[in-house]
Amino acid sequence: MFIINCPFCGERDQSEFKAGGEAHIERPKQPTELSDDEWAEYLFMRKNIKGVQFERWNHAHGCRKWFNMVRDTSNDEIKLIYKMGENPPIE
Amino acid sequence: MLNYKSSIIENKKYSGLSIKEISPVMKLNLRGKSRDFLSTIGKNINMILPIEANTSSSSDKYTSMWLSPDEWLMVSNNIIDKENNNYEIGDLLFNKISKTNLGAVTDVSDQFVLINLEGEKVFDLLSSGCPMNFNKFKEKEGTVAQTLLSQVDIIIHHKKHNNVNLFVRRSFSEHLFSWINDAASRL
Repeated sequence: MFIINCPFCGERDQSEFKAGGEAHIERPKQPTELSDDEWAEYLFMRKNIKGVQFERWNHAHGCRKWFNMVRDTSNDEIKLIYKMGENPPIE
Repeated sequence: MLNYKSSIIENKKYSGLSIKEISPVMKLNLRGKSRDFLSTIGKNINMILPIEANTSSSSDKYTSMWLSPDEWLMVSNNIIDKENNNYEIGDLLFNKISKTNLGAVTDVSDQFVLINLEGEKVFDLLSSGCPMNFNKFKEKEGTVAQTLLSQVDIIIHHKKHNNVNLFVRRSFSEHLFSWINDAASRL
């Protein structure tokens, strides 16, 4: 269990949130020109690394807003939280 | 459209805590972002919707609660007259907001059940089933939070000192009420 600082509501318990997978995955500009492999790459392939990862989270049992989080998956340390639409920090 | 069938059968009293349902109460869900939306709502209900997170604002007739940056819950402070069963403000706002595409006004009067908790043990009870930290919440009156109580989604409104309104979805209300009674008996 850990505390997440929702950019709208403030600090809340992790059980109020839902993880939404990897962040900043861009939809291909010309989907019709992609091969099946490339399309599958976009749809299903996620990094799932051990270490610092960019993720989307949803405050499902609170304000129901989505936001981005930079989290270290090995120790659940939250590095940064920023709103949807904002550019990811360069690290 | 108000449902008079109470989902909670009897009011309960424990030492330092009394639990009752308040019904029927008008509840409207307001959604919108634009400045026009806020000013139209403000003009029609004679109060400003709270912009600051986790707060509420009240007039003599209504209380508006902040739910999210573009969502509010507006409730009537008093119960609605059972004889004529109408609340014109709902229709008025629907015509001025939903029909003009400024935002959305949804009648959630029957969706939510209002449970009122009163007494010095209110926050002891909530803490026993809630992952939230109430230290700051209970310092101020008028604070609002959406969270989980015994895994049920609730909206908590800190009405007065040691007096809290819980809004819970109707289908969960009986379960939550029995959980509250169970938890209260162990305080």
